[in-house]
Amino acid sequence: MSVTLQDRLTALRAAASLAGGRVDDEPIERATAVVERAGARLDLGLEATVVALAGPTGAGKSSLFNALAGEALAEPGHRRPTTSTATAAIWGDEAGDDLLDWLVVPRRHRLDGTLDGLVLLDLPDFDSVAATHRVEADRVIALADLVVWVVDPQKYADGVLHDEYLRPRAGSSDTMLVVLNQADRLDPAARRACIADIDRLLTLDGLPDVPVLAVSATDGMGIAELRDELERRVRRREQALARIAADAAAAASQLAEAVGTDGAPGDIRRQEVDHLAASLASAAGVPTVVRAVRAAHRRRGALATGWPVVRGLRRLRPDPLRRLRLDRSAAEAGDPTPRTSLRAASPVQVAQADNAARQLAAHAAGDLREPWPRLLRVAATSNDSRLHDRLDAAVAGSDLRMRKPYWWRAVGALQWVLLVASIIGAIWLAGIAALDFLQLDEVVPTPELEQLPVPTLLAVGGALAGVVLALLSGFLNRFGAARRARIADRTLRCQVRDVGRELVIAPVERELQARAELLHALRTAAGAGPTRRAVRRGRAGDHALTAGRS
Amino acid sequence: MARTDAPPRTDVASALERLASALRDTQLTLPTPLAADSECTRVQLVEQLEDYLLPRLRQMEAPLLMVVGGSTGAGKSTLVNSLVGEDVTASGVLRPTTRSPVLACHPDDLHWFDDDRVLPSFARSSGGKPGAGGLHLVGTDRLPRGIALLDAPDIDSVVETNRVLATQLLGAADSWLFVTTAARYADAVPWDLLEAARERGTSLSLVLDRAPQEAVDDIREHLVAMLDDRGLTDTPVLVIPETTLDAGRLPAAALAPVRAWFDDLAADAQAREGVVERTLSGALRSIPDRVRTVQEAITEQDRLRTELAAQVERSYDAAHEQVDETVRSGALLRGEVLARWHDVIGTGDLMRALETRIGRIRDRMRAFVTGATPAEVELKAAVVTGVDAVVIAAADQAAERAADAWRATPAGRSLLDRGRRLDAASPGLADRTAQEVRAWQGEVLELVREEGAGKRATARLASFGINATGLTVMIAVFASTGGLTGTEVVVAGGTSALGQKVLEAIFGDQAVRALAERARVRLMERVKDVLDTEAERYTAVLDAAAPPSVTGSELAAATAELGAAG
Repeated sequence: MSVTLQDRLTALRAAASLAGGRVDDEPIERATAVVERAGARLDLGLEATVVALAGPTGAGKSSLFNALAGEALAEPGHRRPTTSTATAAIWGDEAGDDLLDWLVVPRRHRLDGTLDGLVLLDLPDFDSVAATHRVEADRVIALADLVVWVVDPQKYADGVLHDEYLRPRAGSSDTMLVVLNQADRLDPAARRACIADIDRLLTLDGLPDVPVLAVSATDGMGIAELRDELERRVRRREQALARIAADAAAAASQLAEAVGTDGAPGDIRRQEVDHLAASLASAAGVPTVVRAVRAAHRRRGALATGWPVVRGLRRLRPDPLRRLRLDRSAAEAGDPTPRTSLRAASPVQVAQADNAARQLAAHAAGDLREPWPRLLRVAATSNDSRLHDRLDAAVAGSDLRMRKPYWWRAVGALQWVLLVASIIGAIWLAGIAALDFLQLDEVVPTPELEQLPVPTLLAVGGALAGVVLALLSGFLNRFGAARRARIADRTLRCQVRDVGRELVIAPVERELQARAELLHALRTAAGAGPTRRAVRRGRAGDHALTAGRS
Repeated sequence: MARTDAPPRTDVASALERLASALRDTQLTLPTPLAADSECTRVQLVEQLEDYLLPRLRQMEAPLLMVVGGSTGAGKSTLVNSLVGEDVTASGVLRPTTRSPVLACHPDDLHWFDDDRVLPSFARSSGGKPGAGGLHLVGTDRLPRGIALLDAPDIDSVVETNRVLATQLLGAADSWLFVTTAARYADAVPWDLLEAARERGTSLSLVLDRAPQEAVDDIREHLVAMLDDRGLTDTPVLVIPETTLDAGRLPAAALAPVRAWFDDLAADAQAREGVVERTLSGALRSIPDRVRTVQEAITEQDRLRTELAAQVERSYDAAHEQVDETVRSGALLRGEVLARWHDVIGTGDLMRALETRIGRIRDRMRAFVTGATPAEVELKAAVVTGVDAVVIAAADQAAERAADAWRATPAGRSLLDRGRRLDAASPGLADRTAQEVRAWQGEVLELVREEGAGKRATARLASFGINATGLTVMIAVFASTGGLTGTEVVVAGGTSALGQKVLEAIFGDQAVRALAERARVRLMERVKDVLDTEAERYTAVLDAAAPPSVTGSELAAATAELGAAG
């Protein structure tokens, strides 16, 4: 066997904890109980083997107990039901008191003989009108390493035994024996037929390999064989491990049933991710921000490079980015968690984002059966309340690359130079006008350049050049704004996609990961080798049974 | 005793028939602890009515039917064979031995049993080997007239059909001959049945078989004490000691007590009548209480069904509310719809682009094909997508809420397993919603046309275009009713104010408001239709699994009739 029992128990515990909150509690509780029992049993050592004699009332458990012990320890009786609490017979000193305390069996008899290491328990019945008997029997059956089912020719086909005790233990053949007591009441042919019938019923119960022994506690028939069988098992000291292995396999298979191991998950396709990102971008107000980036760049460009005379007019309108509180300079001024003034996503956008997340979860679920589609959907929508805050933070935290281009400063300076030139020209012209008024225009000659008077050139040319320069920069800024808008769009969508990955896709992937781990743990817990085959055979037996009935 | 003041049996019979038919029609499908118990009671009642009470009431003079029942391996078949003195039924060591019931009686009495009077659901066979499932009839003149023995299968073996069969046969008996053994007499399963016999008032005799000689008195004493404890004080206890069989039959000495008791009964017609009468009146007495159990379960089922239906209704009402809220709040105007509206009224970028020549040509061509400008087409599409998204999200959440509510109860959980993927909106919802919204848009245009017809508005309407006017009404629907605040008023209000002016110019102030309101109501009606279809997936599952019960009142009426007749 490649996996040790310890590995299987660890895997079962892991599976139980992974399954917690994902599937029904019952199989999880059973798995946890199996792991706990195994831990407790292993702590008590494997030197002793606990064997319980269980069976219906009147089958002769106490008589058989006495026959095996060789002395009258338990009191068989005619009034049914007889035994109400468990009695223990202990051979040798392998079994310490701690083991018997764990079993909670107060009535103990220590014996010597060839069965050293055996702790034999005589249990109350499980089918009488005394309900407390059944509770006690169930408790000890759950703890014993080997259960010897004691039946008699009248009761071997009882519904209680098969429906409530044997069939639920399908696949655990090596943790039990069946003993047909009172076999002396049958003649040899009837005995053989009876044993064959018990074998048939056991196969239908999914327990095909359980040894069946015919004994008689009253005339001693078959007792020696039963002793031999018990001695063999006690000496090998593997019975406790076999029980734990069978329990682990059964618990794992029950848990696997609840988890649903069939079907394959779908994948998270690019198409769904894109759809999600697009709806999140719309909900985060990315188009609004991108428009604001474009407008802000053009406004700032105009302020930096526009004609200084009319530049002031631009200031009257607010900066669109600052209005959204997306100005990096403002954000960097110490506010660690900047919030934008973007309008909260509209119900339509919220709905679209919600739909996209659900679609993604539905595709990720593929053809898995419940509870996985539900779990994946819950995972995809688990962060709904945080989603919109995080989107806002992502937008607020994005670097929109709103740095001023270097040429703005040069053009700005040039605009001032041109303005100054134009003012100088204007003043000069004013001076000439004053001289003209004083009839002194002939005294001071006006310098000319290419037959144009310099002051006029300065005044008109400066203004004209300023306006042309402003128009030219405006044209360039328009391109710059478009480029920045593109960059901002890309950056923002990238950020939004990351938020979607973290809050929608990652939880879905974690859930699928948990499922994969769970299945792996369950496979490990079910173990390889003979136990697993037995489980499968047990299932086949179930089918045979239902088929036989219908 | 009861024979002197015997009630008019025909009235009782007709009341019982009515009761049987109502019980047959009763379905207790939603799993609850009470329903499981009551379903048992119901099945047993129906069987007892059909297999015992009705046939017995119709033919009071039919032979006494004594059913030999008990645990597997208790020796029922051996006892029957020994009593008859002939191998009428198979006995053996393999459990369970008897798989199909065998009825033995005097040949002259056979005619009472070979029609459908008793146990109508069993096929009859006679001669040769008994077939499985049917009732095997054996006529033997070793039995006296007036008494029939029925060897029933066991009540507690691993073969479940046997258990069901045995319970049904015991329900049909005038008297039970219940066989147990020294090893068996404290088993829980037989005592449950004896309890049922007490409840039904069936006359009962107990055979303690296979009693070890040395402990006969001890066990007998204990058994009688147990019977006393359970209110079965007068039950005769007949002991057969453990013995070796003589050619598969009990030796005469061992059988003596049972033989004496049986022969007494066989010889005394009056005693037999007494037994029949006792079981009959006991059964009649037991009926009202048991019917009440079934009625309680029906009430519970009704309550559960109403609750489950209400959970679905609440979930989808909330969804409808949610959509209505969104439409009223003007939220639809915030995104795409508003942008496209700007395009239509010419303040958006797109309109400017359309002013180029190519744009205009394309515009005309598209208008030629569709009768609408591209901006209008896009606005319409935006409205569809917006409403669509809101409805789908609301339906998804409603489905999830309803599924969560159902999952919280075992009854709901069992229903969820029947339906396929109930906890999400149905796959075709997107198409269906889009279709509905498009149909609504058509309806709005129709409304506009109606409103414009026969008025001076027609001319103005013609100049503005029905399409554009219809779109303006749609915008008014999303903008005019809501409680918009802050900047939204500026944005939505500004645009809708423009639209409003256009509309008022065409139709007049009052008409516009009425028009918008009517359009909104129509939209919400369509949304409700869509959501109702979604909710129907749940109600269909509920109705299929647990159709509304009509038998509760019928049961009450039949019980009342029975009370009046008896």
